[in-house]
Amino acid sequence: MTARVAAAAWGLLVLAGQILLPLSVRDRLPDPLATHWGPGDRPDGSMPFTVYVVMVVLVWAVPWLGLVVARARALTHRQGRMFWWGVLFATGVFAFGMNVTTVLANLGAPDWRAARLPGWAVLAVIGVALAAAVAAGYLGRGAPDEPVPAGTRPPLLRLRAGQRTVWVGHVANPWLTLFNAVMAAGLAVLAVFSLAGVVPGKPAALILPVLVLVLAVGVLISSVSVRAGDDRVVIQFGPLGWPARRIPLSKIESAWAEVRHPSRVGGWGIRGLPGGVTIMLRGGECLVLGYRSGGQLAISIDDAARGASLINALINERVES
Amino acid sequence: MLLTLDLNDARPLHEQVAGAIRRAIGDGSYAPGDRLPPARDLAQALGINPNTVLRALRDLRDEGLLEFRRGRGVSVAGLAGGRALLVQRARELLEEARKHGYGRDDLIAILEELP
Repeated sequence: MTARVAAAAWGLLVLAGQILLPLSVRDRLPDPLATHWGPGDRPDGSMPFTVYVVMVVLVWAVPWLGLVVARARALTHRQGRMFWWGVLFATGVFAFGMNVTTVLANLGAPDWRAARLPGWAVLAVIGVALAAAVAAGYLGRGAPDEPVPAGTRPPLLRLRAGQRTVWVGHVANPWLTLFNAVMAAGLAVLAVFSLAGVVPGKPAALILPVLVLVLAVGVLISSVSVRAGDDRVVIQFGPLGWPARRIPLSKIESAWAEVRHPSRVGGWGIRGLPGGVTIMLRGGECLVLGYRSGGQLAISIDDAARGASLINALINERVES
Repeated sequence: MLLTLDLNDARPLHEQVAGAIRRAIGDGSYAPGDRLPPARDLAQALGINPNTVLRALRDLRDEGLLEFRRGRGVSVAGLAGGRALLVQRARELLEEARKHGYGRDDLIAILEELP
């Protein structure tokens, strides 16, 4: 069964469930239905029946269509396949699970305010969705990737005695920089308002640390520098060059350049499982370091092929000397 | 950006760095409009003072190879470096020739022999 058929069949199955489940018990549901529960098990939000059905359809249809569109790029490599199948099934199970628990909570209730949703039901749905993600990711992993994809071998570089050669690569994501600027502005406004006493103290005290944390992480991963030379490769994050990661050349088997996209590695940021991590700031050229231990580390960076050439040349020089 | 410095080069360091950057741009590492890595990263990689790198970058800006933009860092202005790159290569060729015992006139003679 091809990915296309399986994705279509699963998509239509969940879609049918999303529509048929509330319709089949419509006469036993209150209208409007309770659709949101606050702390404890009392509902604090409701929706008319028709709006509810449209919402459960959209909650599934939008991510499903997004995954179908991303299919071609995502399925070419094992990590992309695992991520794609995992998200496809987890989203479906989660959307249908929320539908089931909502309908069950409303079933037989005279009014939406009387609908009760036990807290464990939500946790159970999340748990089952995670299990579905792991199972689907494992079953859909397919054949392992080629160790070094064909056509990605960088050109050979010859080092000469009496010369010192280094390579520096840098990449910055303008969208993340913009996001950080917006966050910083929002933070400043909120800080001024809370100092002036316009914002009530308690919510501000809760939100401020979260904003600071998000901003700090955003600044750290908005740009990456990599330099290779002497006996190591150094990866530095953010405008301050900190944190930094130093990898001795003795740990690296070889390096190459490869085109990778966020759809393949599961999004932006530091992605992947141990042994196959990608530092993804933008889709495109990535420098991939193949470790002697068998793992890989990929960094999205400009001018990656020359970096890979130099790293390979430095490794060969170490072996020869 | 691949940068190579000759350890026996007697020229001032900033000139050598400017030469290395010129060669990297001439080799096609960076196209017009591309941004260069920050000067601080270049300095750290080469193990030299950032001011030396900045001086080299300013020289290249005056030459028309680079442009500085506030907030956007340093980017490649154009391939105005064609002649500059040839001068760079010729200088290297001359050094290579001297290592093998040939002088400037010998090199010119070799060039004239070429079709």
